[in-house]
Amino acid sequence: MDIKFILSILLGKAILSATKLLNIGGGSAAPGYYALKFYPELVTKLSKQIPKTIVITGTNGKTTTAKMLGHFISSQGLKVLRNTTGSNLERGIASALISNFNMLTQSLNYDAAIWELDEAAFNSVALKLSPDIIVFLNVFRDQLDRYGEVDSIVAKWCKTAIKLKKSTKVFFNGDDASLIPLEKCFTGTKQTFGLSEFKIRGEKALSTKQQKLDFEAKNIEIKGLDGTKFEVETKTGKWGVSLSIPGIYHVYDFLASFAVSQELKLAPSSIINSFKTFSPAFGRVEKFKLLNSQSNAYIFLIKNPIGATQVFQTIKPQLKKDDRLLLILNDNFADGTDVSWIWDAGFEELRLKNLDLRITCSGTRAEELALRLKYAGFNPTSITIEDNIEKAFKASQTGLNGRLFILPTYTGLLSLQKILAHLGIKERYWKEN
Amino acid sequence: MKLVIGYLYSDLMNIYGDTGNIIALQKRAEWRNIEVEIKYISVNDKLNKGDVDIYFFGGGQDLTQEQVAYDLQKSNKGKIIKSEVERGVPLLSICGGYQLLGEYYQPHNKPKLRGISLFPAYTVASNDRMIGNIVIKTQDSVILRSKTEESRSFAKAQDDNYLVGFENHSGKTYLKNEAKPFGKVIKGFGNNGEDHTEGCIYKNAIGCYMHGSLLPKNPELTDWLLTRALEVKYKKEVLLKPINDEIESKAHNKAIKKFS
Repeated sequence: MDIKFILSILLGKAILSATKLLNIGGGSAAPGYYALKFYPELVTKLSKQIPKTIVITGTNGKTTTAKMLGHFISSQGLKVLRNTTGSNLERGIASALISNFNMLTQSLNYDAAIWELDEAAFNSVALKLSPDIIVFLNVFRDQLDRYGEVDSIVAKWCKTAIKLKKSTKVFFNGDDASLIPLEKCFTGTKQTFGLSEFKIRGEKALSTKQQKLDFEAKNIEIKGLDGTKFEVETKTGKWGVSLSIPGIYHVYDFLASFAVSQELKLAPSSIINSFKTFSPAFGRVEKFKLLNSQSNAYIFLIKNPIGATQVFQTIKPQLKKDDRLLLILNDNFADGTDVSWIWDAGFEELRLKNLDLRITCSGTRAEELALRLKYAGFNPTSITIEDNIEKAFKASQTGLNGRLFILPTYTGLLSLQKILAHLGIKERYWKEN
Repeated sequence: MKLVIGYLYSDLMNIYGDTGNIIALQKRAEWRNIEVEIKYISVNDKLNKGDVDIYFFGGGQDLTQEQVAYDLQKSNKGKIIKSEVERGVPLLSICGGYQLLGEYYQPHNKPKLRGISLFPAYTVASNDRMIGNIVIKTQDSVILRSKTEESRSFAKAQDDNYLVGFENHSGKTYLKNEAKPFGKVIKGFGNNGEDHTEGCIYKNAIGCYMHGSLLPKNPELTDWLLTRALEVKYKKEVLLKPINDEIESKAHNKAIKKFS
């Protein structure tokens, strides 16, 4: 037995207990961080104990896809392990593995692991995980200050991919032309997913001679805030799906999860049926009732130009004259410190003809957001600037007769989560998984 | 009155928020009842003298930058841009665009990319990534000229020649002796992170590293470009109509306060 290995796990578990006991937070990173210092091969060694390892990467949709796939797998009575959001670096994965490692049986009692890795972490962690399946969702401009330019992200992914084992099965978004160069980086099986209509085009134009998609959503019917109806067609069959989360972008997340579940030989009709009990990840289209009013509020996370524009297109047909918007722009590290992206996002899409909705802009760069709206053609008198998110949330409810649409960036969403918990609207610390 | 904005290589050189600069030029002209046409000029397009009243040239990724550098040399576009700037046509170039308007760009382990030598400056790839918010104080001559006009059009919350944006580059640009920097770095890296200069200005052409987007939250610079363009085109003194710049000032001041 490898004593150092066991000691590193014990060390990690001790730190985990300490952080829980002292309630100091950091439980998703610290145990892994220190255990890895003590035993650098920890992730490789532990990960091998799980029969199927699935890695999900891309700019948008990682959390929803991981959550959906996790739901599909566990609906079939299988045990699945995932990393919590915000801890998608190696230490986060190590922490998840350590906390679930059973010291008595000296094993991890899981059938599958789903790891979401951000664009940069993919290159440092994928080789250690030696995944059986990889999903590439998309690659859009997002936080250039952290991840770099789209072409360089794909080039780095390719370098990593070449070193992976040949049996690795790859699924990628066939509608995102930026991902196409990846095809030649994998020698194993590659399959694509995408839409027959309403395609979300990426940063590059798609060739007119697009290859036949392996998993294709067809006959798509957009049902506003109630979601999307479509058929998913593969070589082996066709199934009707009613997705209750609005937004075409979620159809891609579904297709990716569905494709992987087919690789895992899960019964299609059974997993589609399991959707009835699926609830989306926090802030990825969330609906709740506001206090002291009968009004509904919806939260849609926005974080980069293509994603945000997709959100605008999803909610625009739903906006009515009494509805209001609360937009939150932060420029903290996790949001990206460069707010240039809002100038590439289609805020013009949110404008209604002859109708000025009340809009509150909040967050650390509320003024920049208000400026963007002014240049998108909104009447400045309909815009209120309130940096403080809690105050902005309250102000946007005063005299509200319609619904409130809240569109925050990532750390704005985290603040909102605390505020909602504090006000008793949502229970505290609800988790993403 | 009418202005044509020439967006150079918009399909190849539009990295982050460059569109915001076009939006700012367009809106601030339209709010003064000046008609605007945006002309997209890329590899297969022709460019003639007098086609464009303001040029904009954004940033690109390494690979596309090579394509663009080649086209500037091979087609007559480089020559036309230079001669148009000589007669006073304003131009704003940012990051990659700025680099290609200098003498050359020297990448890592690859042959030099020749620029069109509009700016007496050259750029060398480095291993430092210069990322972050940037605040500069512009050369007096630039903003002073616009200030006399602008002070009539709106009262600014605070008197400064400061411009604010976001930089993200690893190329280091060095100015030659005869070059005039666009501004002095107050916060950030600027041209090279060494000599406290940022950008370059020649006649009414500006090159700099400021994304952000730059023009919306630095409206006096936008108006300066518009004014220069109208004066060159209509050969008379132009005073732009005042605009309520309350939100612009707020965004500008917040960014300066936050970064410096």
